[in-house]
Amino acid sequence: MTTVEKKRRCCAKAAVRWLAGSAWFVAALVTWLWPDGDDFPDTLLLAGLLAAVGVVLLVMVAAKRLKDRAAWMLALGLGLALWELVQAKCLLLPRPFFGTPQDLLDVFLTDWRRLGDSLYHSLMLLVCGYSIGAVLGVVVGVALGWSLRFRYWVRPLMRLIGPLPPVALLPLAFVIMPSTRLAGLSLMALAAGFPVAVLTWSGVAAVDPSYYALARTMGAKPRFLVWRVALPAATPQIFVGLFMGLGAAFSMLVVAEMLGVKSGLGFYMQWSQGWAAYPNMYAALLVMSLMCSGLMSLLFKVRDRVLRWQKDGLKW
Amino acid sequence: MVKQSALSLSVEHVSHSYELQGVHNPVLADVSFDVEPGEFVALLGPSGSGKSTILRLIAGLEAPQNGIIRAGEQVITGPGPDRIVMFQDPTLYPWLTVEGNVGLGLEIQKQSDPVKVKHMLGLVGLQDYGSAWPHQLSGGMAQRAALARALVNDPQMLILDEPLGKLDSLTRLTMQTEIARFWRERGFTALMVTHDVEEALLLATRIIVFSPRPARIVMDVPVELPASRHRDDPVLMNMRRDILRQLGHGEDW
Ligand SMILES: Nc1ncnc2c1ncn2[C@@H]1O[C@H](COP(=O)(O)OP(=O)(O)OP(=O)(O)O)[C@@H](O)[C@H]1O
Ligand SMILES: [Mg+2]
Repeated sequence: MTTVEKKRRCCAKAAVRWLAGSAWFVAALVTWLWPDGDDFPDTLLLAGLLAAVGVVLLVMVAAKRLKDRAAWMLALGLGLALWELVQAKCLLLPRPFFGTPQDLLDVFLTDWRRLGDSLYHSLMLLVCGYSIGAVLGVVVGVALGWSLRFRYWVRPLMRLIGPLPPVALLPLAFVIMPSTRLAGLSLMALAAGFPVAVLTWSGVAAVDPSYYALARTMGAKPRFLVWRVALPAATPQIFVGLFMGLGAAFSMLVVAEMLGVKSGLGFYMQWSQGWAAYPNMYAALLVMSLMCSGLMSLLFKVRDRVLRWQKDGLKW
Repeated sequence: MVKQSALSLSVEHVSHSYELQGVHNPVLADVSFDVEPGEFVALLGPSGSGKSTILRLIAGLEAPQNGIIRAGEQVITGPGPDRIVMFQDPTLYPWLTVEGNVGLGLEIQKQSDPVKVKHMLGLVGLQDYGSAWPHQLSGGMAQRAALARALVNDPQMLILDEPLGKLDSLTRLTMQTEIARFWRERGFTALMVTHDVEEALLLATRIIVFSPRPARIVMDVPVELPASRHRDDPVLMNMRRDILRQLGHGEDW
């Protein structure tokens, strides 16, 4: 690459950074100055918020804190301006299935208490169910890999129940469990636990036998071999299971909340759809995806920490 | 350096076999030999003759089907920290740092001692790599770490299964010298399988040659040479020719 080209590329990057902040001002101006196509709430507030984000972005650029994300912020600002234009100003898409930014903002302003409460309930159910499933999965997986007798009795059960989508057990669980929350919780544990158990088992089974021989020559007892050799050697596989289990727990959560558990984001979504409150549905969807993505990122963080001895790994 | 007590060994009429796809496969046929405390015995033999097998039995990883192996006065019934093994592969645990790997034996014995581990790392020239991960080491450094992991336990007997077999020839020369130095300074009994006749002649005080499978002892000679040996020593060259002839390579050397 010649110096001229390098310079040009550098200038282009700087331009994108400054444009990113400006794009949000454009969105703010469109929102503020262009008259709404219908009677929408909070238009001024939205314009103010967009402008505020623009200010923050410009400050970040000046402080050289906005680098890789600049292009994304630019696209986001333009996207919001376009959305505002198409839906709030020109009313191009059929309403009320497609909402405006104002509608969404309004839901957060007026219904944040119920949304927060739903988030709290979903998160609790998810964290409890998933943790129980993960721990049980690891224990069962290690036992499957280690004990012949345990494998003899448990493997057929795993093969029978494992491939069944846990959702299929939901009607049964609602009947036999004392509460719908408990039913959701146990099925989530099952959904998360199965992949964890299978992958832990396969990880333990694949441990290099010379790892055991080595520890044994230094006098290691079976306890040490299980907890200090087999388990750490299997952690890369266990994490694959944990990721799959987390995905399964997400689906289980939503289905359980939509079908019986009378709280949480799934329930909120079901309810808002029933009342044709589409903006509320979008808001719940947004909160839910932020929750799932946050938990997934957290699990990646944990994995990167635990598996820092590995040469490489997917970066989330 | 305090010399720890070395272990004597007596292998008495040991036979062993494996079942391979339903076929009975004798590996050791009535093998007997005694090792005095502090000896350095090299075991030579054709590939697949059963050298690793006899080492596994001595380490206590498996029990012999016939015969008895004693370490000191004790009949060997299982592995023990008095007999430490070093394999052809370094077999470092990838999830432990180099320090963690070297301290493994002490930890298993519930005698963790970071100072001793650090000191041992220094003795093998890895003082700067204590907190490195195994995948960050070169092959030679990894094998050095494995040597440190073995020696930090102050073994009375060191069992080496082709410990230098996968190293390049220059690294081998350095590590041969290091192993010889540790053996001289610490006075443990050493039992080393190697496929390199010259290496055996340079390091050992005695050489045992096995036949092809099932292994019997076909030659058992002392190496009566001074501690600092030279490859071109005529005595050494003569022994080399005899041993190669026993191994069926009399014409090739
Ligand atoms: N676990 C096992 N199951 C079945 N057969 C085995 C087992 N371990 C070793 N053998 C057989 O025993 C014989 C001797 O093996 P061993 O590893 O002792 O040979 P070796 O002398 O160390 O060979 P090399 O020099 O190639 O390392 C081989 O024929 C091998 O196939
Ligand atoms: Mg071998």
